[in-house]
Amino acid sequence: MTPKERLKLTLAKKSVDRPPFICLGGMMNTAVEEVMDITENKWPEAHSNAELMAGLAAGIYEQGGFENFGVPFCMTVEAEAMGAKVFLGTKINEPRVTSYPLQSMKDWMKLKRINPEGGRVKVVLDAIKILRNKNLQVPLVANLVGPISVATSLIEPTMFYKDMHKNPQIVHKMMTFITENLISFGKTQLEAGANVLAVSEPSGTGEILGPVLFREFSTPYLNKIVEALRDYAEIGTIIHICGRLKNVYRELEDIKSDAISVDGITSIKKMVKNLPGKIIMGNISTFALEYESPMRVKNMAENCLLDGAKILAPACGIGPRTPLVNIQIALEAAKKYELNGVQR
Amino acid sequence: MVDAKEALLRDLSDSIVEMDEEKAVKTARIYIEHNYEPYEAIASGLAHGMGRAGKLYEEEEYYIPELLMCSDALYSGMDVIKPHLSKTVGEEKHKAVIGVVEGDTHDIGKNLVKIMMETENFDVVDLGRDVPPVEFVKTAKEIGASIIALSTLMTTTMDGMEQVIKLLPEYGLEGKVKVMVGGGPISLSYAKKIGADGYAQDALKAARLARSLVQGG
Repeated sequence: MTPKERLKLTLAKKSVDRPPFICLGGMMNTAVEEVMDITENKWPEAHSNAELMAGLAAGIYEQGGFENFGVPFCMTVEAEAMGAKVFLGTKINEPRVTSYPLQSMKDWMKLKRINPEGGRVKVVLDAIKILRNKNLQVPLVANLVGPISVATSLIEPTMFYKDMHKNPQIVHKMMTFITENLISFGKTQLEAGANVLAVSEPSGTGEILGPVLFREFSTPYLNKIVEALRDYAEIGTIIHICGRLKNVYRELEDIKSDAISVDGITSIKKMVKNLPGKIIMGNISTFALEYESPMRVKNMAENCLLDGAKILAPACGIGPRTPLVNIQIALEAAKKYELNGVQR
Repeated sequence: MVDAKEALLRDLSDSIVEMDEEKAVKTARIYIEHNYEPYEAIASGLAHGMGRAGKLYEEEEYYIPELLMCSDALYSGMDVIKPHLSKTVGEEKHKAVIGVVEGDTHDIGKNLVKIMMETENFDVVDLGRDVPPVEFVKTAKEIGASIIALSTLMTTTMDGMEQVIKLLPEYGLEGKVKVMVGGGPISLSYAKKIGADGYAQDALKAARLARSLVQGG
């Protein structure tokens, strides 16, 4: 079974030989320093050069790491395209937004559209084309930062969150505009050769918003994206949400992606129990991946699977100083895991 | 007379919980016009309301957007009261330095901790986001702070916290300043590992922790 087949069947809830082990890319960074050194495709150059970006993404798969390709390595591409100023970081620190284009919610119409012909948007699309042409039977993820997370990279987050109460109309207008742009960007990625759709929403969590605001401002827009793009995503659709999700199980039922990926603070067991219709993905602590021994990482990976994760994955984007051996050992844990719960 | 004052204090507290900035300001003005003790308007009125909001957050009734609205009401109310506070009240305050460590820009949690600490009568100097470790230590020394409060949401920036602690002896602050840490990837065991004096899970607990740290707890 190829990695592509395995992920496709898993997302379709069909039987597979063993769980896939992937890391989405985008906000869920896949790149580590060791692979940068082996491939000679390093940060920060790899963020703005398609060849380096593709080489680094492929490298992590080729070195026995994640069983997929995922680009880019940050959550700043969409925000930058829409007007944010970004510092591209260093070899071991990811890019971050340094200046917001909006000083007030009223100015949301000043936001630029995401242009596929230029800047790092084009770099991502070109990198996807390069990865597709490698013609490996490996899933290629089209990554989108979720609309709330994009919004809070375009304006001071407190203004955005407060207007959910003070001026919900304007929040909806801004969210609609951002979502349209994300759908368009997602489509160009899928048309360039990506075959999995992933949306990562670190700032639009149940933990931050609570169930009422989550239902009003998060679910509808995430679903809009999934519904618009799922026919273009041959392998399936995944949504990653950070933070404690225990207050939004009912709301998560309404999310239309095939799988939900969670971070370390959410219990896989409880997600599986409360959302029996969903594939749950996650959630090896990224702190453990970076600092713990391989033996400990292996145990944690096994526990995720024993708790019911159908796709093994890190809890969040991995730190670039994560030792490659810890990623390799997590893959070994997935390979050795039989889905009836008994380990070989 | 006492009843009228109590009613106003109650209204001040309610205005925070109700996220009603206008009510906070209006009530604060009426309170001042009556010449009641200004400090009580904060301690038993506005800050009391913020404490109730913090509890609602812990009970998962209120979330971040609600707390942000409450804090707007708090600050607006405090802006009315502050000019009337006597100077001696200000001098009794403990000083704290707070910020998000270098490499990280997530600051909502830090902002909420700052608000809660101010309601616990701390004078808080906020260094903002992406703050180099040495800035925390330098500022703490300059202002004679009793507390340095560090926040981060990312595993990749946690090291900055340990760097702050390691810099304290160089600036003669070892044992003189308490360091408290918090944020998504932070835990009590991590705090202990790096030699921090305390860890708190949310803004309300952080403010209580800060209070207990300066009281020699």
